[in-house]
Amino acid sequence: MENENHYIITAYTENQVGLLSTVAGMFTRRSINIDTLRVYPSGIPGVHKFVVKTTTTPDKVRSIALNMEKKVDVIKAFWYVDNEDIYKEVEDVTSYLKERENSINK
Amino acid sequence: MTENQKIKGSQILLETLIAEGVDTIFGYPGGSIMPVYDQMYDYGDRLRHILVRHEQGAIHAAQGYARAKGFPGTVIVTSGPGATNVITGVADAMVDSTPVVVIAGQVSTNLLGTDAFQETDLIGMTNPITKWSYQIRRPEDIAWAVSRAYYIASTGRPGPVVLDFTKDAQVGLAEYKYEKCRFIRSYVPVPSVSENEVEKIARLLDRSERPFVLYGQGIIHSGAEKELLAVLEKGDIPAGSTLLGLSVLPSDDPHFKGMLGMHGSIASNVMSQKADLILAVGMRFDDRVTGNLSTYCKYAKIIHIDIDPSEIGKNVPVDLGVVGDAKDVLGRLARRMARIERREWLESDRHCNEVEYEKVIVPETRPGQGTINPGEVVATVAEVSGNDAVILTDVGQNQMLGARYSRFIRSRSFISSGGLGTMGFGIPAAIGAKVAVPDRKVCLFVGDGGFQMTVQELGTIMQEQVGVKIVLLNNNWLGNVRQWQELFFGERYSQTRMVNPDFELLSQAYGIGHALVEKREDLRPAVERMFADDKPFILDVHITEENMVFPMVPPGKSVSEIMLNATEWYR
Ligand SMILES: Cc1ncc(C[n+]2csc(CCOP(=O)(O)OP(=O)(O)O)c2C)c(N)n1
Repeated sequence: MENENHYIITAYTENQVGLLSTVAGMFTRRSINIDTLRVYPSGIPGVHKFVVKTTTTPDKVRSIALNMEKKVDVIKAFWYVDNEDIYKEVEDVTSYLKERENSINK
Repeated sequence: MTENQKIKGSQILLETLIAEGVDTIFGYPGGSIMPVYDQMYDYGDRLRHILVRHEQGAIHAAQGYARAKGFPGTVIVTSGPGATNVITGVADAMVDSTPVVVIAGQVSTNLLGTDAFQETDLIGMTNPITKWSYQIRRPEDIAWAVSRAYYIASTGRPGPVVLDFTKDAQVGLAEYKYEKCRFIRSYVPVPSVSENEVEKIARLLDRSERPFVLYGQGIIHSGAEKELLAVLEKGDIPAGSTLLGLSVLPSDDPHFKGMLGMHGSIASNVMSQKADLILAVGMRFDDRVTGNLSTYCKYAKIIHIDIDPSEIGKNVPVDLGVVGDAKDVLGRLARRMARIERREWLESDRHCNEVEYEKVIVPETRPGQGTINPGEVVATVAEVSGNDAVILTDVGQNQMLGARYSRFIRSRSFISSGGLGTMGFGIPAAIGAKVAVPDRKVCLFVGDGGFQMTVQELGTIMQEQVGVKIVLLNNNWLGNVRQWQELFFGERYSQTRMVNPDFELLSQAYGIGHALVEKREDLRPAVERMFADDKPFILDVHITEENMVFPMVPPGKSVSEIMLNATEWYR
């Protein structure tokens, strides 16, 4: 299809049962294939990481990532064109979580 | 601690509901939720339970309650069929951003996954149509999960939450430890907006000659009615409302140009196409609002303010997207923007209104002779009720006419199933609304089709004596579909003719007051009689059978291509 590209979506999540099927459902609903999928502990204690490779249009990848992040148990989601470098994510998410925790006391 | 400081899970549930401020539950009992119902027996003085006649009625009633009151509606049902019966309403609440909490029984933990009697995978089924869904498997988790449910349902962009409550958690013992949920680290309900972003909106607005505001239900959720009006007044800016945004602005406010979209006003559709700047707030550019996207607002800069980041740029590319709370952003915008006079633009809809009045409104609401038109009925109800009833509609022609010809003087006065368009929403939603705001008049417009989809809830009305006024716009057709068949399917009326029961006998069976109106001169007295007291009433009006709703932007057309009737187009 026109405009299609290889993308990587990463999401940092709380460990809640059922998130995997929710994420998979977002792809099914838009009839997009998941090329590869990995779910594993992120390196941040208690936080899981999803890495999904997919081939789709810029609009759809954006929509999926934003809808993933909209799920209550998803902390942050990012999306990249496949050959972009992914770095600093863990630092970003860690400092984001610190900021969130601090905001309770305000 | 000792065993006797512990209480049953079902009691923890009810205590937590009370702590969260719940006063009313819409529900229906069954095997997997019986411990909760048993507990309710002792809580009758603190929690009102309304026994519906079908679980779909419970969820729609909870939706009506939530929308009238601004507080989440609560539903309790059993597992299996009880749970699947609420699913339509959950999907409806999701797309219409309605805060509801559904608590469904579930089989005991040890039976999960065994196809036990009345076991269904409710979490799996509702995941894509809820803001959050969670299975409670231990009594220790109940207070936490329930408080979290109300927090999630009611904050940010509101929505439905489903709690799947296993039977062993209901009967198990735990200490009641309640702490109100105010924070979830992975969930940011209200993103903050920088002063710089507000400044950017203000500058774009100040430079615009023909700004137009599109607003939706987000204004109601955020309580931003005053702030919206302040912005419109300061900049002489006209505005159009989505279906669910109706009643935010008083109908006679000079900035209000009517409803947007397919059956909206000519003025609001035409002005949105003529504008050089669109400021959209708390709405989501639904296809019923935008018509053909490739020609929609092509020459305007578009600013979109919404609390949900995934809405920005979803359907319409924007020049500036601002993710935040409408009240906050509009409040600051009103202070930052310049006072600019745009009288000429604000009043440039005169031609649109003259045409609409002459070609659509007069023939619909004042035909003078022949059968009664549905628009006439709506206009009469508006007049007699002093424009101050909470208006509900079902789905179809009754909905579009109810929206078009009702008039409003205060917010939270229009409740309808927008995004899902669920026939059968009307009767139960009206019950919920009246229970939520008993001091207000609550009036439903419903077609003969939708009326019969949830007609069983007349039993609920009878049992609870809920004083809803049901106006049955009876045309013996599935009118809305019939209209499309006439206009777009070569008058092939496939499966839209309905043979109806005697609604008077039906009303009598339920002990509900009834009047049948067939003649124009009987209409007004009957409406007056209906509003004379606070009892339930069914006003059965035999309306013009082949009436059609206009103006109409046909599907796939640009919103400025507007049919005035079956043969004429707006020019
Ligand atoms: C549950 C459901 N089924 C089908 C439809 C499709 N539909 C939309 S309007 C309509 C006709 C409604 O007829 P009626 O209730 O008599 O109202 P009228 O349009 O005549 O006012 C139908 C069938 C729907 N919106 N919802």
